[in-house]
Amino acid sequence: MSGPVLEARNLSIRFGGLVAVAGVDLSLSAGEVLCIIGPNGAGKSTLFNLISGIYRPSSGSVHLDGRAITGQPAHRIAAAGIARTFQSSRLFTDLTLVDNVVIGMHCRTRSGVLDALLRPRHARAELEAAAERAGELLRLVSPDLYQRRHTLAGALPQADRRRLEIARALASEPKVIMLDEPSSGMDDRDTDALIEDIHMTMAERPGLSYIIIEHDMRLVAALPERVMVIDYGAKIAEGPFAEVRQDRRVQEAYLGQRAAHA
Amino acid sequence: MDAFVMQNLMNWLVLSSIYALVALGFSLLFGVLNVIHFSHGDVSIVAPFVVLATVQALIATAFPAATPGALVLACAAAIVVVGLIGVLADWLVIRRFRNAPAMMALVATVALGTVIRELIRMIYPQGSNPKPFPNLIETRLMIGDLTVPVFSLFVIAVSVLMMIVLYVVMRHTPLGMRIRAVAEDRNIARLMAISPSRIYAATFFIASAVGAIGGIFYASYAGVVRFDFGIQLGLIGFSAAVIGGLGSMQGAILGSLLIAGIDTLVQATMAEGASYRLVFAFLLVIFVLVLKPSGILGRTVMEKV
Amino acid sequence: MMTGTSKITLAARRASGADLAIIAGIELGGALLLGFFLLTDDWRLIVALLAVFAAGFALLQIRPAIEDRIVSAFHAARAQALGLGAVVVLVYPFMMQGSSYALHLLVIAQLYAVLALALNFQLGSANIPNFATGASYGIGAYCSALLAIDFGVSFWLTLPIAALVATGFGFVLGFPSMRTRETYLALVTIAFGIVVHQLLNNFSWTGGPNGLVGIPAPTIAGHSFTAPIELFGQRLPSQANFYYLAAALVALAIVCARRLHDSRVGLAWNALRCDELAARCQGINVVWYKMMAFAVDAFLAAFAGSVYAAYVSYISPDNFTFLVSVTIMTMVIVGGMDNTLGVIVGAFLLTLLPEKLRIFADYRLLFVSVIVILFLILRPQGLFPQRPRSYGGR
Repeated sequence: MSGPVLEARNLSIRFGGLVAVAGVDLSLSAGEVLCIIGPNGAGKSTLFNLISGIYRPSSGSVHLDGRAITGQPAHRIAAAGIARTFQSSRLFTDLTLVDNVVIGMHCRTRSGVLDALLRPRHARAELEAAAERAGELLRLVSPDLYQRRHTLAGALPQADRRRLEIARALASEPKVIMLDEPSSGMDDRDTDALIEDIHMTMAERPGLSYIIIEHDMRLVAALPERVMVIDYGAKIAEGPFAEVRQDRRVQEAYLGQRAAHA
Repeated sequence: MDAFVMQNLMNWLVLSSIYALVALGFSLLFGVLNVIHFSHGDVSIVAPFVVLATVQALIATAFPAATPGALVLACAAAIVVVGLIGVLADWLVIRRFRNAPAMMALVATVALGTVIRELIRMIYPQGSNPKPFPNLIETRLMIGDLTVPVFSLFVIAVSVLMMIVLYVVMRHTPLGMRIRAVAEDRNIARLMAISPSRIYAATFFIASAVGAIGGIFYASYAGVVRFDFGIQLGLIGFSAAVIGGLGSMQGAILGSLLIAGIDTLVQATMAEGASYRLVFAFLLVIFVLVLKPSGILGRTVMEKV
Repeated sequence: MMTGTSKITLAARRASGADLAIIAGIELGGALLLGFFLLTDDWRLIVALLAVFAAGFALLQIRPAIEDRIVSAFHAARAQALGLGAVVVLVYPFMMQGSSYALHLLVIAQLYAVLALALNFQLGSANIPNFATGASYGIGAYCSALLAIDFGVSFWLTLPIAALVATGFGFVLGFPSMRTRETYLALVTIAFGIVVHQLLNNFSWTGGPNGLVGIPAPTIAGHSFTAPIELFGQRLPSQANFYYLAAALVALAIVCARRLHDSRVGLAWNALRCDELAARCQGINVVWYKMMAFAVDAFLAAFAGSVYAAYVSYISPDNFTFLVSVTIMTMVIVGGMDNTLGVIVGAFLLTLLPEKLRIFADYRLLFVSVIVILFLILRPQGLFPQRPRSYGGR
């Protein structure tokens, strides 16, 4: 298979009169890392919401592995192989870490109500196996999380919440993983650890593609092969970070017009 | 035929007015507190009992015979007393659930409703039995071949007046502005030197006092009142507020018009209308909510992700 | 809070003598407390027993370690705990000194336990408000009663049919949950409950407000459930038949609850309880799982309804009002959301308390409501709060 894993064409959404995302094209190959940057309110998260099926696009299309997933409900898109994290982490705070990761495997496990009631051994075995894998996944992401795997997710500090969210997203064995500002709320040391984590999972799962929304320029410089800049809902630049940062329009968007001209 | 239609139109408006007075309280409290005060109907139905008790007390002491003056005084007393009961209900119970999950507050206020009903039953002499309630205004007007009870006109007029007053208070007075500020964000309001607890008390007083008027009209319209009438009145008022869109005053009025409309229509056109009125009213509720999940005028809140 | 490491040692631990002592103490002590409570008429003793009960929970509130110790004992010696529990349940009617009233209360309490467990799937596991459990209960009761009276269908056959019919209604009720949520969904269920109640009240084929009379009692191998049980030279009142039937139903409900809770389905419900949007992004079909919760609730509630109809042999719409649904809801919240044992204790407490407070005659409803409110204020997490799931062979 040579085509892109994920391809969005002319993706747009309007809320009333406001055009939040305007005709964005996006293409991602297997194993690639794409970073999306742009000022606050530029429509980056909205783009994620469009791809992951939380919002229905007003126009445009999204294809995963050549299959149209445009406008499908979020749970189908997750099952098709797009996992994500959220800007303000949304864990299942009243459940344990293991539970959180096992829930991430929802679409890779099968037991339904009747299985649970009538074939309890089978359903239980499946869940135990999932919990086993969840433990391994947690150990991979952070030995510390593994240690605490039977405690409640709500008790975790901010940096660990992000890690757990990434573990949960990985649990669904996705083709594409979308991280929404993974470093927000982290100090420098945490961010370094995060960059390391991401490098490690990239090595661990070579075919997995990433889209990362990020503000921290260190992370942007360290990770991606390609950077895409969004402002006012539209793509204004795309390419290697070194090139993109020289782009006049990007500087305007980030620094304001006057500063860029000065 | 015309008289029949007019009669039912009148019934519709009267019922709508009564329901709206209760529904407005639900909507107001939800808008400010984000809390369903399920015992609001029971609080409202305390009013007619206070009226009855006060009238008797007045007759026994100040007024030698049942004069209209006694009734007016009793109604005024009932409105104030019930307003205070609302404040008390908040202070004793509801305020303890400000930060609790919505379901806890709902169950707590359902239990509070039982407490209020049981208290009426115990405190009022022979409280288990239905009590006849006087028609507030006996006079009837003859317009052509149509008899119009002045009471009906009075109910409609008072309700419309209350709606206007509420609207003006909420939109154009300092109190209304403070209430809306607390509704928007209690912590920021606190920074603006607004005391949320006072605002809550004021809101509960207003909602309960308006509900009390509804309760008195309800009893007077039915000609009778019983300690457990508050359940049905509360359920209908709640339904009206919800299908109209919680937190919206116009929605509460619209919801009342709809529910009273189907109620009147069923009773006027079906042979067994009286027994099926609730069936159709609540089928309407389901129907509206399936079509408009946040009520007719309710804002669909887009969740921030 | 237990740490991961202590959990692991706990899993590997074998049952010790102390564990068995704790289990025996809790189960026999609980049975004894309940027995005294059921059999006494002396209000001082009732108040004293309630005080003992409350003191026990106050102790748990102050020293959570005690609760952890008890839970770990039950984990370590699960088989022994189950065995002893089963023996207690089987022998219990013989300890009731032939009191048919005590047995009657136990039957009703157990039926409410089933209803509360049914609702727990929604309210506890998935945080879906449902004020229509009473309606599902009524649909089950009417369905099996009508089948038995009008078509002479055997009780044992009406049981599954009524459950399936109610499950169908559950699905219908779950349909609006596709779009409506929270308070709005709560109102949909309230409205559904009222519509069902009103229709039962109005249709002639349901007997209108008078309800249905003369619902035949079940028979098993020629033994009618209206006849007393004679066993080991003891004679148990006829209520004992239904006691055992209801106990079997509670057992079934517990098995369902445990199996669903410890499964992918239970996890999915918990996920959408906490954050519906995040749940959707994990691939959980939220609408489907909500409808399943409605269906499971209706299924179990209908079982309870069928047994109730056969037990009292007379049902009317007023057995299945909005307030019945609210009572069931209160049991779940007071007992502890998503905790099987808690929900059962909640059901027993709220069924027995008003009955035993009959001595306070007129004040009992007031009393119970005040207790419920105090409860919600003082111990909002319920008698037994939800506990973390355990994995790894336990």
